[in-house]
Amino acid sequence: MRSHISINRYAHGHLVGARSTAAPLREQVEEALAGGGEMVFDFSKVEATQSFIDELVGVLILRHGPDVLARLVFKSCSDDVRAIIEFVAADRCDQYIKAHSH
Amino acid sequence: MPTPVHLPASISARTADTSILACNRLIERGGDALVDASLLRFADPFGMALLGATFHMVQAQGRAISVRGLHHAIAGYLHRMDVFRAVELIDSTPQLNDRRERSDALVELTRLHHRRQVDEAAYRLAVTLIGSIPGVDANAPPDEMTGYTAFDRLVEPIQYALGELLENALTHGRRQGFGDACVWVASQYYRKSGLIRLGVVDNGCGFLATLRNHPDLRRQDHLEAILTALRPRISCNRDLRFGMESVNQGVGLTTVARIAEHAGGRLTIVTGNAIHDTVGRSRALLGGAFWQGVAIGVVCRRDRLPGIRFSELLPPYTGARPQLRFE
Ligand SMILES: Nc1ncnc2c1ncn2[C@@H]1O[C@H](COP(=O)(O)OP(=O)(O)OP(=O)(O)O)[C@@H](O)[C@H]1O
Ligand SMILES: [Mg+2]
Repeated sequence: MRSHISINRYAHGHLVGARSTAAPLREQVEEALAGGGEMVFDFSKVEATQSFIDELVGVLILRHGPDVLARLVFKSCSDDVRAIIEFVAADRCDQYIKAHSH
Repeated sequence: MPTPVHLPASISARTADTSILACNRLIERGGDALVDASLLRFADPFGMALLGATFHMVQAQGRAISVRGLHHAIAGYLHRMDVFRAVELIDSTPQLNDRRERSDALVELTRLHHRRQVDEAAYRLAVTLIGSIPGVDANAPPDEMTGYTAFDRLVEPIQYALGELLENALTHGRRQGFGDACVWVASQYYRKSGLIRLGVVDNGCGFLATLRNHPDLRRQDHLEAILTALRPRISCNRDLRFGMESVNQGVGLTTVARIAEHAGGRLTIVTGNAIHDTVGRSRALLGGAFWQGVAIGVVCRRDRLPGIRFSELLPPYTGARPQLRFE
């Protein structure tokens, strides 16, 4: 099953910002993932801060490991959002692997 | 009659030492506070946020504040910035003309005390600031390619920077027994120079208290704590710990410094007895001045803001790149 979240709905203006906005969203995602299936994040018409992406995606990686990424789809990202997702994912996967290798 | 505390001629990031010294005297002196403002001629958003925080703390001690000798040239301006909430002004009536004559765009001093206010406040403050710049039209049609207006391009970097600084203040600033800490924010556009200035000041625990046990902190002093906090991936809360709800990446403050830098500006950061300017100045505050908390001044050029791309602000990284599914 595929669940969708329209990130745009959580924006103020065109930007999703604070960690406190992303945290409840991530909890929703975790519930959906627990039932199997995958999650589609729709980033159309929205920019994001690194801390928002980290709270949403980075924390999922820290909690569930890099394998969780196979079940996440990032749709309609601007170049900036895409670059931020790539940065956060690389950083948190690296951190997860280091923490679990000894 | 209490002994007056004299405000210096300028309360600003550039004169942080004397500005903070005056604030220290106001906070430390017992009884009702009398402020002599006869020398005061200039205040920037950093200075206004500092004054707002100081007045608030004095009032929270149950002490009344009166300000005397305020020059009319600055009275209306500070009044409009809402710096003098519940403060008695002696011999000084802010003139309405003073307020209207100011062509520079101001956004009045705002205090936040809940983390959940951050997103809304960062957006509202950025929109108000940019919206008050003469000649910037919030309703101009968007660019066909990107869907963004020129207004959006100005608002977003400011909203981003404010959001990160406010969230830092209301999360990290509240650690180590400072659960009641608040944050004050002011901003202004200076028409002649084309500069935007922001001031974000909290009365929390400060950088050193949060980073004291960080392995990368080489010396236990305030200056070292600022320099350490500015490095990417340094955070007091980077690891997911059992029972701890929140986690950080250590990138927000670095990004704010990069926003300022890309927009031809800089950050001035004060905490404890230290001051650091991201273009070089870095030292102990003079005269024994000490700020309990973090006080940050941001300055940047308005004309450089629209060129900022958030992807270019990220810290460099090497190592494996995980497979991601973009559609
Ligand atoms: N207002 C503040 N008061 C006290 N400590 C602060 C404050 N702002 C930042 N710090 C300290 O500086 C560190 C670095 O801040 P920065 O914003 O770069 O990262 P972070 O907030 O930890 O992570 P992220 O911004 O990615 O969520 C913080 O972890 C904290 O230790
Ligand atoms: Mg931060």
